[in-house]
Amino acid sequence: MAVADAAAAPALAGTDAAGRHRRWLRTLEVAVPSAVIVLVVAACFLGPLVLPVPPPVGGSVLESYLPSFSPGHWLGTDPNGNDILSRILHGGRSSLVVAVAVNLLGLLAGGTLGALSGYVGGAVDTVIMRVLDVLIAFPSLVLTLAVAQSLGASRTNTILALAFFSIPAFARISRAATLRLREQPFMAAARLCGTPGWRVLLRHVGPNITPQLITFGMLGMGIVMVIEGALSFLGLGIPPPAPSWGNMIAQGQQSLSATPMLVVWPCAALFVTVLAFNLLGETLRARWSGR
Amino acid sequence: MAPPTRPAGSAGSRPPAQGPGRVAHWTASPSLRLVGKRLLMAVPIVLGVSVLTFWVLDLIPGNAAQQLLGAEATPEQVAALSADLGLDRPAVVRYLDWLGGAVTGDLGTSLVSGQPVTPVIAERLAVTGELVALAFVASLGLAVPVALLAAYRPNRMFDRVSMLVSITGLSVANYVLALLLVLVFAVQLTMFPAIGFVPLSESVVGNLHAMVLPATAIAFPLFCFYTRFLRGDLVDQLQGEDYITTARAKGIGPWQVLLRHAFRNSSFGLITVVGLNLGTLLGGTVIVEQIFALPGMGQLMLQAINTRDATVVQACVVVFAVVAVLANLLADLLYAVLDPRIRYGSR
Repeated sequence: MAVADAAAAPALAGTDAAGRHRRWLRTLEVAVPSAVIVLVVAACFLGPLVLPVPPPVGGSVLESYLPSFSPGHWLGTDPNGNDILSRILHGGRSSLVVAVAVNLLGLLAGGTLGALSGYVGGAVDTVIMRVLDVLIAFPSLVLTLAVAQSLGASRTNTILALAFFSIPAFARISRAATLRLREQPFMAAARLCGTPGWRVLLRHVGPNITPQLITFGMLGMGIVMVIEGALSFLGLGIPPPAPSWGNMIAQGQQSLSATPMLVVWPCAALFVTVLAFNLLGETLRARWSGR
Repeated sequence: MAPPTRPAGSAGSRPPAQGPGRVAHWTASPSLRLVGKRLLMAVPIVLGVSVLTFWVLDLIPGNAAQQLLGAEATPEQVAALSADLGLDRPAVVRYLDWLGGAVTGDLGTSLVSGQPVTPVIAERLAVTGELVALAFVASLGLAVPVALLAAYRPNRMFDRVSMLVSITGLSVANYVLALLLVLVFAVQLTMFPAIGFVPLSESVVGNLHAMVLPATAIAFPLFCFYTRFLRGDLVDQLQGEDYITTARAKGIGPWQVLLRHAFRNSSFGLITVVGLNLGTLLGGTVIVEQIFALPGMGQLMLQAINTRDATVVQACVVVFAVVAVLANLLADLLYAVLDPRIRYGSR
């Protein structure tokens, strides 16, 4: 079996070289995705200021459907004659802003609820966890769509709706981490010193669970960017004239067979960014669980 | 086998006075008690979801009457149609009315088409169910062998390649994957249809042919997720657990240790995430159904949301919630089958 042969491939030669190799890999595992993220953030936020790109909206129909690598439009133009590179950079801004805001809100709300649930226990724990069970069983798309329908599709509404549904995941992680902490000697010491509950939560539990929550937040960045893209794709996220990777993909889908690059470029941007966040998140998570 | 420390009062080793025979009968089978307990826990969750949906739908300004009559309808016309549809009653009354029907299997009539919702849902659920079932079979059928092979020799070539492939696959949104599949296999190679659905009753081959691309779009990310999850769990078990050391010390071969000992224990985690996924996935097929124009639940719900057809949305959400809860229940019961500690456990 070819697969089994691949699995039995010879190990790296020499323990010393292997050790150095492994240390290199460990550094690269963090450095490469971090560098990609920094690059994407810089490109989206500084790129339009530095690069000679036209504005993302208000293009001329005379310039529509220009192919990639046209002069003045590196990635070509869309059906409305807007520059695709410019739209990708500006769309990336909204994607990143939404993802950071959603994860920050989810982390704060979910983290607090989970820590409270795990630390206090008893009836409080039961009530919080059952309510969160309902939220998990509730198809988040419905509420997000409902919010978009009633309050109008906008960036703020998207953020609020997505943040609401990121709470259960953060809460569960925070609760599990808090439960593990509860039996630690320093927690017992804090209790024995008569430290009030809120202070224990703030000064002892909080700092100890934050790294794990941030690690999950890295994975959450990828998840939110994908969902935000999905909402915009369905026309319910970032409203159309403004660019977003999701609505660019939806627009490109209309002429998929004629001009596939309209779909390929925003898909590539989404993929690279999400991959970088996932790789970083996974590496951090693996280090935390000591694997 | 009931442990003596069970708190008094719960239906434990000491049955209440009024019905000793019946209680003793129920306590005789821990698995049955587990089923009963989980089913009872599921009821408030489903109720909670239905209340939440009803409330959210009620908050949206503009009801189905407004939507049906269009923008130029007078307020009087809207009010009259609202009264006709029963939308002018207080929300609590409408909810209880709906709930009374729902528990007997009647999910109401569509506000837009006037048809009963239950048969429509059944028809749509079959399509989505098939899509999800195909995706699950494909993803699990591939993920388990790949994860076993990867965990057999962790950090070797096969493991590294499969982990790289799976993290890459996890970063591809399913709509991106769906569009790329259409681009390559439908537009360029014309191997599969880009959109459309063939009912199973019409042609089994045609049906499967039309399902290949949408099922792949859903299955690939799942495959990646399960592979990573199972591989990670297996490696954890193999590296840290005493029973693995014992098994190895007895001279059991590495494949036997992996399959009979590590995999059996790792399957719990896998079952949990599969159970959780099954619930969330039904909601996640919306976009894939939209791209491939499949007449499933997701498409139905999206249409219903756009036409403010509250009854249909409500029915879809509740069906999703029931499936999610049942999937979790099934996962819990599978634990009991696989793990004697839970079957005879103290909880």
